[in-house]
Amino acid sequence: MSNFWHWTVIIVVIAHIVAYLWLLLATSKKKVDKREDNTTGHVWDDDLMELDNPMPRWWLWLFVLTIVFSLGYLYLYPGLGNIKGSKEWTSVDEFKTAYEANTEARNRSFAGFINKPIEELIKDENAMLIGKRIFSNNCALCHGSDAAGAVGFPNLTDDDWNWGGEFDNILTTITGGRMGVMPAFAPALGEEGTKQVAAYVRSLSGIDHDTSLAAEGEQKFGMFCAACHGPDAKGNDMFGAPNLTDDIWLHGSHEIIETALYEGLNGNMPTQKDILDENRIKLVAAYVYSLSNQ
Amino acid sequence: MSKHEKIEKNIGLMGVMVAVVISFAGIIEIAPLMSQASVVEPVPGLEPRNPLELAGQNVYVSEGCYNCHSQQVRPFVDETLRYGHYSVAGESVYDRPFQWGSKRTGPDLARVGGRYSNEWHEIHLMDPRSVVPTSNMPGYPWLADTPVDIEQTVESMKVLKMLGHPYSDDDIANAAASLTDKTQLDALVAYLQDLGTAMPRSYQ
Repeated sequence: MSNFWHWTVIIVVIAHIVAYLWLLLATSKKKVDKREDNTTGHVWDDDLMELDNPMPRWWLWLFVLTIVFSLGYLYLYPGLGNIKGSKEWTSVDEFKTAYEANTEARNRSFAGFINKPIEELIKDENAMLIGKRIFSNNCALCHGSDAAGAVGFPNLTDDDWNWGGEFDNILTTITGGRMGVMPAFAPALGEEGTKQVAAYVRSLSGIDHDTSLAAEGEQKFGMFCAACHGPDAKGNDMFGAPNLTDDIWLHGSHEIIETALYEGLNGNMPTQKDILDENRIKLVAAYVYSLSNQ
Repeated sequence: MSKHEKIEKNIGLMGVMVAVVISFAGIIEIAPLMSQASVVEPVPGLEPRNPLELAGQNVYVSEGCYNCHSQQVRPFVDETLRYGHYSVAGESVYDRPFQWGSKRTGPDLARVGGRYSNEWHEIHLMDPRSVVPTSNMPGYPWLADTPVDIEQTVESMKVLKMLGHPYSDDDIANAAASLTDKTQLDALVAYLQDLGTAMPRSYQ
């Protein structure tokens, strides 16, 4: 704070403390001219009178004590302008100390298993318990507390993985997040082309479809879709392009194929590396891996 | 009449004197902060909200989100582990009114920006229980059908500029165009995704 405020604060605070002390002493010494019946002569509402009984001594001493306390406090802690106080206490330092102690404690409890290879890690009960808690706190909001996903948010308990299901893939996904982008194909396919490709995609998973449209769609699929989803439509981990030959539909059902082709689709898994440290990411990744690799 | 009696029997005079005494505390605790750099200057990288985010902030306030959500991560270990780096004063210099709050029926939102995807926010605001089955947050489905109030947002920008937010004349002139066809849902999601992003998200 500026020099002006620094001194203003110091002067006003000290002046107040001195003034309180003076008030305390002055009023305790002052004699009120009382009447014979020990009243002050003040009368309210016709007959309400004020007795002049002294305040209890111990109670007055409490006032003095608060003043002594304030002086001690101002000596030890920041309070007078820019003066730091003899302990040089700050809330940030207090927080840092507590945070470091907590980090140490956490790392100590992780030490027993954090360096185990993944196949052993998923068999460690404590590791999985902690992993599950991290999952509940951070991942369940989208993927569900049972990790079975929801419309638009992948099921993590099955064997279908858009970005790869190996432990390292999961680790990368959680650490850096993923951005799946399917562009809109309306300009390239038009309305008729969209229907044809949709029919072909349905044929891949054995869903009822128009066979003549599907035959037209196969060639267009090769031109526009195979680059990401692969010529066999089994998807590609590199782009997060889903396998289209199974009957798993991330965005609800096969009924959205036309809209997806026409308008495009986005999927975004936010990065977690700013929220969770390396150890916690490893534990939660191991937990997710364990769901489909018992 | 003694001085004591004069004060005691004149409530107006006593009121004035009480106000004078109490105002000293205000001067000492509040006034110095108004000139302190860490409180009045933005943290590096903090930008005033763009028109869409500002419209979102107005939706946040008008829907009363602050009744259940605070926007202040306190400097305690458990809070930083859950929400990220504790909040600092320089982060809210462009929040008028600030949304710190102390009432947490829902989680703190000071660092919610980037934590979930836009799609998640849209689904969650329309029907919270479709993604969080145990949530007690009400749904806000009308936000998706209500266009943002363009005129009000532009007026907000003008007033905030008067109060010192560094909007340029171009920013204000182009604001209306950037808000066409935007719904209150778009605005609120944009606002939420901006919250707390000027600081490192985690304390590590």
